[in-house]
Amino acid sequence: MIFSILTDPTFLEDTIRMLFVFVLVTAAFILLSRNIASLLTVYTVQSLLLTLIAVFLYLIQGSQTLLAIAALTLVSKVILIPLFINLIEEKIKISRDMKFNYLEPTASLLVSVALILLSYVFLSGFFNEYVLGKLFFIGAVIGLSLTLMGMLVIFSRRKVITKVLGYLTMENGVLLFGIFVADLPFIIEILIIIDLMILVLLTTILAIGLDSTIEEYHQRLQRLNIWSGGKL
Amino acid sequence: MIILSYLAVGTISLAFILLSRSHRTMNAFSILHTLAFLAIGAFALLTTSVPVFEGENRYFYVDHLSIYEALIAALLFFLASVYANGYVESLMQTKELHRNNLKIFYMAFSLLLTITSFAFFSDNLALFWIFAELTTVFSAVLVAILSAKENIDAALKYIFIASGAMLFSFIGLIFLYTLSGDVLGSGTLNWTVLMANAALLSPKMLTASFVLLFIGFAAKSGIFPFHSWLPDAHSKAPSAVSAILSGVLLNVGMYGILRMYSIIRQTQAEHLISQFLLGFGLLTVAVAVLNMLLQKNLKMLIAFSSVEHMGILLIGIGVGMPVALFWTLFYVLAHSLTKASLFFSAGILHRQYESNLIQDIRDVLSLQPVAGWGFIIGSFAIIGMPPFPIFSAKLFILLEAFRFSQPLVLTILLLLVIASAAFARFLIEAFTRSSKDTESGEAEESLPPYIVRPGMKLPILSIIFMVFALGIFFPEFLENLLNGIVHELGYI
Repeated sequence: MIFSILTDPTFLEDTIRMLFVFVLVTAAFILLSRNIASLLTVYTVQSLLLTLIAVFLYLIQGSQTLLAIAALTLVSKVILIPLFINLIEEKIKISRDMKFNYLEPTASLLVSVALILLSYVFLSGFFNEYVLGKLFFIGAVIGLSLTLMGMLVIFSRRKVITKVLGYLTMENGVLLFGIFVADLPFIIEILIIIDLMILVLLTTILAIGLDSTIEEYHQRLQRLNIWSGGKL
Repeated sequence: MIILSYLAVGTISLAFILLSRSHRTMNAFSILHTLAFLAIGAFALLTTSVPVFEGENRYFYVDHLSIYEALIAALLFFLASVYANGYVESLMQTKELHRNNLKIFYMAFSLLLTITSFAFFSDNLALFWIFAELTTVFSAVLVAILSAKENIDAALKYIFIASGAMLFSFIGLIFLYTLSGDVLGSGTLNWTVLMANAALLSPKMLTASFVLLFIGFAAKSGIFPFHSWLPDAHSKAPSAVSAILSGVLLNVGMYGILRMYSIIRQTQAEHLISQFLLGFGLLTVAVAVLNMLLQKNLKMLIAFSSVEHMGILLIGIGVGMPVALFWTLFYVLAHSLTKASLFFSAGILHRQYESNLIQDIRDVLSLQPVAGWGFIIGSFAIIGMPPFPIFSAKLFILLEAFRFSQPLVLTILLLLVIASAAFARFLIEAFTRSSKDTESGEAEESLPPYIVRPGMKLPILSIIFMVFALGIFFPEFLENLLNGIVHELGYI
């Protein structure tokens, strides 16, 4: 019974479409939420959704690479990266990111809707649906929108740790775009994940200095005035 | 073989730096590392018949362009590591660099050289993308290494803008991959294959993927409107690192743009993309020059001048003529060297005054004659006065561009005059001020001269010698090398 459902292409396609909606909801949440702990949870959920999409797509297409991508995403983005960021967050001891740059939450939601439309228009200029298949076309649009919404997060949020989550969202968007438009060689996917890990490691460690509410870091960093002019 | 020896030398030096205990040995290993890379590059150029593939799966490719860029990188790293010996010691003395971070500094320095070289030798564009990404990460470590909040700010801004933009490049690569798959049966990102089959690719899709790729590469090389990270990162980094950021890392982005453009050049999309590049080049020069004019911060001035020069390089690429390409390539070398001497001089001046601000600088030529003259000569060289090499490079690029569009060249010339004025204004204001005649009429206490540590003057002097020599005399091997590149990129 379950097996026959899992091999039914229309059911699988419908599920993937439903997951697309959830992915967009998570992105909107990352744009809006002021609570850092829940931001991280949402990112984890988003990565899990991506894993599921890759698995369902594998069931439709049967491409081994997709399964490998799913496994890689599960290990790196659902487990390792969130664990690490959680560790850093405990060290920083801040729980909220209240301030927004340039865009207030409502405005940034409106901008994201515009961005989704923009990616649709842009992509339909290049891939007409017949070449790519309808599901794949929507996947590409959602992927590009996710990337742009992640960029919006980097622009509009203040704390470094939130910006990191914005960057990770962008990267998830690129992954989504990638699995629906082309099957890149798996080695490239691995290298990207390694790059991503190093980047997350570095930015979050630097974030300890900036986001932290702990006095010690502030004192250490503000003792010297290297750049504000000399003793003259 | 070439790639393997690079990898071996890179790994061994990294290991030695990791194991060494004193600053002196770490510095010695990084100098050896850079020298070895120079030697491998020169050896490959002299003995191997390039272009040649490396490895079974054709991920790496050695041609004249990649060797040329890798040699420039190794040369700049060599000069910077000689300079770093005294400079870093001095940073530690003033506690601007924490002693615990010393090892991280040298390891990131060494890794950065290895990775940059690999980026230049990547045939697979996705591989190039990843190495370019890693150069951002490791150079950001070098920016953030000083114990100041501004440095961390600058490094994070650099990472978020450059890496975020690079993700759009990756979407461009996915475009390119599908595009090549449609034509060739199976998708590929190998530059050589794309180059050979460029005529088959659909111009419309190719344009789209170029524009996406351009976003990331432009951000890496500080092209308007993605340049906003550059002045911060380049001016806040330690001067030895600033020289590398301006002299080597900006070239990585330009290299990517050039490789992509040489594919585009064979298709019908060429005309559109040329105009696109010329437009962005012009805007970049304009924005940089306007920021330079009233600049009060010495290193900011030099950093914005890098933005300006990247704009001119973009114009040189966008013109798309063999002669323009030849001089653009020469320009890369001339700019890297000159810019390094400016940053090295600025580093000594920052040691002296503990400030980069124009109002703090006085008695330059009596306190720091080498750095002072280094900066003066460097300024003349960077604004493109004859006999310095940037003069001839600029002249021939603009002559070629003149055939393309006359208003463009006239606008650029006007902007270049403003850039020269910016340097002149800074020099006159800062370098003629003496502590004996202040506005209040009273003589101020004159500063004790900062004792320049050994090794810090040598790179400045040798660069001045090199740019003089390059300006007067164009070596034949360089001409052959550059002609080889023009040929391999399919211009002739």
